[in-house]
Amino acid sequence: MRESSPSVPMLELENLRVHFPTKSAVVRAVDDISLKLYPGEILGLVGESGSGKSTVGKAALRLIDSTDGKIKINGSDITKASGKELKSVRTKAQLIFQDPHSSLNPRMTIGKIVAEPLLIHSRQRGSELAETVSKLLGRVGLPRQFLHRYPHELSGGQKQRVAIARALSVDPDMLILDEPTSALDVSVQAQILEFLKELHDERQRMTSLFISHNLAVVRFLCHRIAVMYLGRIVEEGPVEQVFSNPQHPYTKALLSAVPLPQAERNAGRIHLQGDLPSPVNVPTGCAFHPRCPQAEAGKCDSETPHWVTVGQSRARCHFAGEDLGPDFGGDVE
Amino acid sequence: MQPLLSIRDLSLEFNTFDGTYQAIDRVSLELNPGEALGLVGETGCGKSVLTRAAFGLVPSPPARITSGSVLFQGREILGLSPREQRAMRGRDVALIFQDPMTFINPVFKVGTQLVDAIRAQQLGKVTRKAARDIALNMLDKVQLPNPVRQFESYPHQLSGGMRQRVLIAMALTAEPKLLIADEPTTALDVTIQAQILDLIERLVQDMGISLIMISHDLGVVSQVCSRVAVMYAGQIVEDAPVAQIFDSPAHPYTKGLLAAVPHPFRPEDRLDGIPGSLPNLYNPHTGCRFAERCPLAINRCVEARVAQTFVGPQHMVACTACEGAQIDA
Repeated sequence: MRESSPSVPMLELENLRVHFPTKSAVVRAVDDISLKLYPGEILGLVGESGSGKSTVGKAALRLIDSTDGKIKINGSDITKASGKELKSVRTKAQLIFQDPHSSLNPRMTIGKIVAEPLLIHSRQRGSELAETVSKLLGRVGLPRQFLHRYPHELSGGQKQRVAIARALSVDPDMLILDEPTSALDVSVQAQILEFLKELHDERQRMTSLFISHNLAVVRFLCHRIAVMYLGRIVEEGPVEQVFSNPQHPYTKALLSAVPLPQAERNAGRIHLQGDLPSPVNVPTGCAFHPRCPQAEAGKCDSETPHWVTVGQSRARCHFAGEDLGPDFGGDVE
Repeated sequence: MQPLLSIRDLSLEFNTFDGTYQAIDRVSLELNPGEALGLVGETGCGKSVLTRAAFGLVPSPPARITSGSVLFQGREILGLSPREQRAMRGRDVALIFQDPMTFINPVFKVGTQLVDAIRAQQLGKVTRKAARDIALNMLDKVQLPNPVRQFESYPHQLSGGMRQRVLIAMALTAEPKLLIADEPTTALDVTIQAQILDLIERLVQDMGISLIMISHDLGVVSQVCSRVAVMYAGQIVEDAPVAQIFDSPAHPYTKGLLAAVPHPFRPEDRLDGIPGSLPNLYNPHTGCRFAERCPLAINRCVEARVAQTFVGPQHMVACTACEGAQIDA
């Protein structure tokens, strides 16, 4: 896809850890994650519920404090930033959440909601502010009349557009999108995805971290994908390569489990046994070994796998790079 | 062959402060014994209300069934007393829902609830001990790990996938004729969703149960069902075997739905959303409710009721543009 330019990454996470201490144990929500997002890129962060993907998104903007590791936005270290510095970070990066119904204040009009970040971060007031706000609404394809409406008068897709307009108001270089289309119907989801794609085409530097559990959506929108399992990234690479030639058994199982919108059933579906283990009690060795169909006793349950590079992607599996089992990616193009 | 369930010309409206909301408009649907039917549509299209209304689960008022009939095993069930309806549900018809936590009582142990459900289904003719054996046997069938231990667990101690298994077990112990699964995997992760879909498919086949699977996801439906009915704004717009829905969709709404879904293994440059939004159902016109958003709409679409056209074997479509393509069915 896009060449990783030698420029400074828009977002860089170095060995990020987020642990939540509870009365009896420590929840390792995010455990040693390193990620780089270059300007112009859309990275899909996928995983099942409880894998820690949302925590990564929130920690990257310091909405949750990290336990260890470094967070850099556009080259500057914000891991320990406070007050004023953090305020300037928020003009560079904005978050959009899954449920627009709960992320928009029900007592504010759409106009006020979209103007709020500008009141905090800019000097615009009065007619100038009103002008900017109505331009933003137009930008996301909403009519001017919506300025005086309340969130409950809007449909889900319209509310998500308002949330996007609010995020774009401070002219950020980076968006962190946490399941932005999961609460929407497919026809509306398609509109929002198309809009995000256009936004990236228009603004070369716009960078997005797209958090999702929907692999088909990631395939459509993202350039690169990182797959999380139990707080760690298990595979990372360009979307085409990871989808056509997945290396980690967890990625393979995830891909094979996606119900395909076609008449033929999935061929060679890989069945994972059981549920996601608790992040309080992460299995030793490779965290995936209790559910892995290829796990080898004495190796996978004791040794933590290192990164293995295959082509342009890399995976954390003892057997990555070796040809294992049927290649079920083959029969679906 | 007599159909197991036959809904004919069913219309339903809700009386609200804003007026009469016409949720279901003259819907007809048939289900043969052993068939697995997918009912697909977006939020608010009436897919859940339709199936619930058929079995007396929509409170009236505010709902009012204004026309139509529902035959189950050849017997009219719309006018049944609440008591008769209750006896039918759970024994002949079982339902499972999207969010299992909402349908399991959080303050009782899983086992207690299963035993109670079984005794209610058998009208109290089994002992607690016998009901416990039936329940454990069923938990084993739905592949719940450690059934004996989970029997003593409270619902919050189970994961989402395990709770859905418990609900499936509860629904199937009475060996119903019909299972209605309303978005049973929407709240689950994909790997767990795959497990549950396989489980439903296998149990339904083994036990010879007919299935209506309600979903917004065409992919999910294609995994389990042989036939799909597509609903839009209270009307069924297309009803066909799965292969035909995907390979030769006839209704513009079905085509729009398919074009809006990204395919995980096919690179796509663009997705086509369906422009516009759901019509106002407080005062709808008599014609096709998709007309306002339809690229092919002509005046006749909104003026008169759209006839059902068969464009292939068992492939029904309600679209004015398809009327010329009628085959002899």
